[in-house]
Amino acid sequence: MERLREGADRAELRADGTTAAVIDASFRVAAGEIFVVMGLSGSGKSTLLRMLNGLLEPTAGSVRFDGRDLTALSDRALRELRSRKISMVFQHFALFPHRSVRDNAAYGLEVQGVPRAERERRADEALALCGLAGWETSWPDELSGGMQQRVGLARALATDADVLLMDESFSALDPLIRRDMQDQLLELQKTLKKTIVFITHDLNEAMRLGDRIAVMRDGRIVQTGTAEDILLRPENDYVASFIQDVDRSRVLTAGALMDTSVTADAPLCGCETATRETPFTRLCAISARLSHRVSVVDEANRVIGVVPRQRLVGFLGDETAGPAPCDNPEGKVISRA
Amino acid sequence: MPRIHLGDWVDSGVSWLVDHLSWLFDAVRAVMEGMYDGIDAVLAAPQPLLMAGILAVLAWWLRGLLAGVLAFAGFALVDSLDLWDRAMSTLALVLVATVIALVISIPLGILAARSKAVSAAVRPVLDLLQTMPSMVLLIPAMLFFGLGTAAGVVATLIFALAPGVRMTELGIRQVDAELVEAAEAFGTAPRDILWRVQLPLALPTIMAGVNQVIMLGLSMVVIAGMVGTGGLGGAVNEAIGQLDIGYGFEAGVGIVVLAVYLDRVTGALGTQLSPLGRRAAAKAPTRAWSYRPRPAVAVAGAVVLALVAGGLGIFGSSTGTSEASGTDVGKGKEIRIGYIPWDEGIASTFLWKELLEERGFKVTTTQYAAGPLYTGLATGQLDFQTDSWLPTTHAEYWTKYGKQLDDLGKWYGPTSLELSVPSYVKDVNSLTDLEDHASEFHGKIIGIEPSAGMMSLLKSKVLKEYGLDGAYDVVDGSTPAMLAELKRAYARKEPVVVTLWSPHWAYSDYDLKKLEDPKGAWGRGDGVHTLARKGFAANNAQVGQWLKDFSMTEEQLTGLEARIQKSGRGKEQDAVRDWLRQHPGLVDQWAPVAARDGATSQAAG
Repeated sequence: MERLREGADRAELRADGTTAAVIDASFRVAAGEIFVVMGLSGSGKSTLLRMLNGLLEPTAGSVRFDGRDLTALSDRALRELRSRKISMVFQHFALFPHRSVRDNAAYGLEVQGVPRAERERRADEALALCGLAGWETSWPDELSGGMQQRVGLARALATDADVLLMDESFSALDPLIRRDMQDQLLELQKTLKKTIVFITHDLNEAMRLGDRIAVMRDGRIVQTGTAEDILLRPENDYVASFIQDVDRSRVLTAGALMDTSVTADAPLCGCETATRETPFTRLCAISARLSHRVSVVDEANRVIGVVPRQRLVGFLGDETAGPAPCDNPEGKVISRA
Repeated sequence: MPRIHLGDWVDSGVSWLVDHLSWLFDAVRAVMEGMYDGIDAVLAAPQPLLMAGILAVLAWWLRGLLAGVLAFAGFALVDSLDLWDRAMSTLALVLVATVIALVISIPLGILAARSKAVSAAVRPVLDLLQTMPSMVLLIPAMLFFGLGTAAGVVATLIFALAPGVRMTELGIRQVDAELVEAAEAFGTAPRDILWRVQLPLALPTIMAGVNQVIMLGLSMVVIAGMVGTGGLGGAVNEAIGQLDIGYGFEAGVGIVVLAVYLDRVTGALGTQLSPLGRRAAAKAPTRAWSYRPRPAVAVAGAVVLALVAGGLGIFGSSTGTSEASGTDVGKGKEIRIGYIPWDEGIASTFLWKELLEERGFKVTTTQYAAGPLYTGLATGQLDFQTDSWLPTTHAEYWTKYGKQLDDLGKWYGPTSLELSVPSYVKDVNSLTDLEDHASEFHGKIIGIEPSAGMMSLLKSKVLKEYGLDGAYDVVDGSTPAMLAELKRAYARKEPVVVTLWSPHWAYSDYDLKKLEDPKGAWGRGDGVHTLARKGFAANNAQVGQWLKDFSMTEEQLTGLEARIQKSGRGKEQDAVRDWLRQHPGLVDQWAPVAARDGATSQAAG
């Protein structure tokens, strides 16, 4: 730590045989939000996650949960916290191969000392919630990867913990299953309103899931913000280079694209309008049908901004600057006669 | 390089331990022998075939019908080889050693898996225990625990501990780190992680370790037999000592039956104990030969057999008759005789067994190698032995243990040591002739155990006196190996020169020439002495007097030896009885009872 404060970087420390996994990461997660930590492998995100539930202890700094400093808790209190308040879903599922699906889902409750009948009932409920009703007496190795991770999710949900830590939980699944799982997580989140910290190296996944996203690089958080913040206002070259490959059309909505300098109490014409949530692709379709800018309206039908077509094309091409002046703005065909 | 006196330090360390911690060793010994006696009593109580049935039901339950049938056949074979009691005592020994090995090794393996420091400290110790030749550790074990079960258990333990510790450590370390982390992430306490996650998942590996512990334990029973544990190991030792190939093979077969049974049963037990193994077994297709009864059926079967066995045992035990006669001097007092498997030793030992039993003592005889025999006598584990060649051949033992022993005098002599050749080897009649015929004998003299006094005398004195040092190598080996080589060479009429002594039955079996010793390099002959533990003769005045007065003529000894040789193994005492019947009066001559009609007043001594 001393050396880090004096300005040594990770590479210098590694030469000395130590690894500074997480160096500077300050953030706050609000109750009920999905907070995604995004970074390449080796950026320290998994280490960061394990400090949140005390599996690893930070050498400096503090982790606060419900106003309590986790680093100050005794081992026993930490275990109690992990057992009741913070549960975890793992990258490679980490299901216990010697326990049935039901006993896996009931594991956290067993640790809490919940009586067998009740913990099996609650485990079955959690399994049903994750779409695994009917598989209770199966064994983990009889399930596909996606189903195994549902068991992992059910195990985490069964304890009724407020906080869910998900460590690259969908990375080991193939792309179609991964999308299913993401959808299912979002679906569940609508009703459960858990506080979720989700680790991923996949920016598309981060954009899809995250209410807010923190981008990590070499143990430091380089930017925190909503998906649109990251996408539209990258704070440095690293983040900018990162987002190049993102399929923006999936992430962006009218709310992020609109020019908010134009507002009005009602649309000027009877043409089709968009709302803040209208996704990019739909916005393009509307724009194609209109001869003018698309108005974005709120619930009371007030115009809160407009989206000019140039902007749509520009964002698609990662161009944030406005149009450059042209010496033939009318686009007349110049004859060469 | 300076000479490091490691050996001396070990010597003094061992004597310090013997002097100061004997209470501890006695306690350990009591525990081990108690366990052994308990298990042996249970195993040996039922009729052999019933016990075989119980063991077979166990195999049936754990592995299937075929395994059960084969187990029964195997144990029936052991019974029909007349080795049942020995097999059960070996089984008891292995079980005791295994239980103790597991009680030590599994917790140690768990500790080693959890702490690198423990692991690093334990590993070299395990290496030492596993690779140190077992006899090297056996002698100190005997000094600590005396002859018999405890020393045998310790010898077995030392060898069997390592795989138990290693496999436990390995099994726990092999458990996926992510699973352990998952358990931690759900707030599992370290102890519960061990019980709920690590041990269940490590169980197959641990059970493989248990299996190894048992197998290594079983492979050690022969070594353990050398310190008088009896059982199949003792039988193998006797057979080796007496060059009885057939008996050795039978005992070997007994060990194999036990080994295969224990291997398969513990393997199946591992499968049944581990949840993963049970599932795999349940998935496998069921066939007639792998049909397994439900546990309730198996337990019921075993219980019924056990009850029948118990019932028979009760009836059996009530039929014993007690013998009472006027010559009952011993009144059932126990006397323990040890012997070296040399012919005069066997003859005199079984002669005294018969004589003492005739006089109402309960006599146990156990065969040992010379080293353990003297150690056992010196530590008071044995009462006496009749085959000590003094002053020359056993001089080293006498120097080392003489203070703890009583010499009850010579009963036969003089003996002689010599080199002998078959009589078909012409021109070689004296030690002086050997030098010129070295190439004929390929420069080899077939020796016996390098520890034998005769061998050091041969190497240090006899060869030098006759200038044979460069021409001949003395081949170290064992008495049975020497006799086997003699037998082989004799059958092919090849020239051979062997170390031999008189009296020996080889002289009556083969036509041999003792090479003359004109320079007297072998020295004067020894006397065969009876040695007793310190105080035995004083506490058992009558027996002590008998032994002091005992002597045999050459005619008597060779006659008895020939009779025993003819009767074969296991019938030594019958041969003695026959021989005594043909020589009436000898019993009263060697073990006189003062007043035969007033024997009830005779003190046992």
